[in-house]
Amino acid sequence: MAKKKIRLKDICWYRSGDKGDISNIGLMAKDEKAYEIIKKEVTPERIKAHFKGWVKGDIKIWPMDNLQALEIVMYEALGGGATKTLRIDQTGKSMGNALCWMEIEIDE
Amino acid sequence: MKKVRVGAGSSGWPDFKDGALDVARNGDIDYMSFDHLAELTMAILQSQRAKDPNRGYIPEVLPLMRDLLPIWKEKDKHFRMANNGGGANPGKCADEVLKISQELNLGGIKIGVVTGDDIPLSKVDELRAQGLKFKNLDTGEEDIGRVRDRLLGAYAYTGADKIIEAYEQGANLVLTGRASDNSLYCGNFMHPLGWKFEDEYVDRIGMAVIVGHLLECSSWSAGTCSNLWEELEYPKGNPGFPIAEMDEDGGCIITKTPNSGGGIRVLTLKEHLVYEVHDPHNYLMPDGIADITTIKLEQIDKDVVRVSKLGDASRGKKRPDTLKFCLAYNDGYISEETTVISGPKVFKMAEKMEDFIYKRLDYLNLHPKEVLISLVGYNSLQGPTVPPPDPDHEPNELGFRAAFKCDTREEARACRTECGHLAWGCCGPGIGFTQPPAIRPVFALWPTLIPREAVVEQLEIKEG
Repeated sequence: MAKKKIRLKDICWYRSGDKGDISNIGLMAKDEKAYEIIKKEVTPERIKAHFKGWVKGDIKIWPMDNLQALEIVMYEALGGGATKTLRIDQTGKSMGNALCWMEIEIDE
Repeated sequence: MKKVRVGAGSSGWPDFKDGALDVARNGDIDYMSFDHLAELTMAILQSQRAKDPNRGYIPEVLPLMRDLLPIWKEKDKHFRMANNGGGANPGKCADEVLKISQELNLGGIKIGVVTGDDIPLSKVDELRAQGLKFKNLDTGEEDIGRVRDRLLGAYAYTGADKIIEAYEQGANLVLTGRASDNSLYCGNFMHPLGWKFEDEYVDRIGMAVIVGHLLECSSWSAGTCSNLWEELEYPKGNPGFPIAEMDEDGGCIITKTPNSGGGIRVLTLKEHLVYEVHDPHNYLMPDGIADITTIKLEQIDKDVVRVSKLGDASRGKKRPDTLKFCLAYNDGYISEETTVISGPKVFKMAEKMEDFIYKRLDYLNLHPKEVLISLVGYNSLQGPTVPPPDPDHEPNELGFRAAFKCDTREEARACRTECGHLAWGCCGPGIGFTQPPAIRPVFALWPTLIPREAVVEQLEIKEG
């Protein structure tokens, strides 16, 4: 089957926050089909590659079937955490927005 | 069936005061919860109290109570309030609220003052002598010894126990120190519904933890931080605050007042459920461990969403034996400056400025521990995930922001002046100045756990 490229923002909502230097992103699928896609395509390796050095530590993902959402937890991700970071976005509120630009391939 | 209505009153320092007043006036509520503290706030308040024993609480509590208490009186003093704006000085905060109550002739108010969250560094040393190392939950570092000499203060995130006890003693308002945001809600559900910290209630307390999480950021779960922000309506610019109606079996609906802006939708709640929870099967709060995957959300009316149990699994587990414990320590100083640069060729100009700044740091023998150069309007929020600029569609202006972290205030100032401020003359023609923020000390946080029994809370009732 032919493949096409889309961005996560086309099929997901997002909200992110912080705890210390840990960033969390709730990635919410817009429908059931989108949920199946993100469960398969959004992996720690791909997320880490997308953030190109802004996320230094491990990444864990918990699927939440009841909300059709992924809970993504990224360690050493905020330049030291809210009180220590030099970034404007001290509490990682934009990390979800940043992730939503990630490209994935889906069946046409 | 017995039900209780709990309204959100605040989620930070400050929050929309009119949102709280609207909930009090039009929300038909029995209880209200006011969170005023972020992770860093306690360290700031502790340092204020160290300089002046009359400070150390959230000053906004007083104007808020001045406007809110007359509504409380109009409602026959029906609803009760839990508020953690006492910060590092709940007793002093209560004295000031009592003065306001007298000025307004409210005819008496009973305030529960909860302390004990504030752990003296001598107690930290004592616990270390007993063998506790306070492993850093963020970094995994085993022992706090490395930063002991730089510690500024320490506080535990406390639960609902003393809030409930204060209500049992007739308190109308409970002012706490670092009670967990979530516990301000758990206490408000548990007291009227008679839920105890016993095995038969863990499922329902799990639900209280989940609903508390939904409400604790006030207007956010009613749309202000939503992906739906553009389409939700705010006709008067007045954000709605969420209200939860919980029944004694742990069934719940979330709603808001009809004339406030925003909306209560499945998505606005879902967005908040996924916010900062980490492992959704084990959302750890002082009063219980919730499993966020055990509930479902349904829109049952305009601005009314039902939150109900999904499947047979328990929504909660027994509360943890430890409490979250944060220690603040000094970790240098941060300075920054933003200059707005003007096109054409903004990216070329910025590149040259960056190069100039690094050369100049070297030339002046300045050694900041960290430097971050970012371009506001391009990559200041989303960093390296942003694709390279399109040379045919460059923005016409960008904020050039340079930020420095240094060991001393003097060096932070030198970096800002020499390499930040003076950059306005080194970016080609066409710039706008901004006023740089003050140089700020870095209060780094060391998040860890402390055994529950090491945190001895006190309750004092003040009346007037």
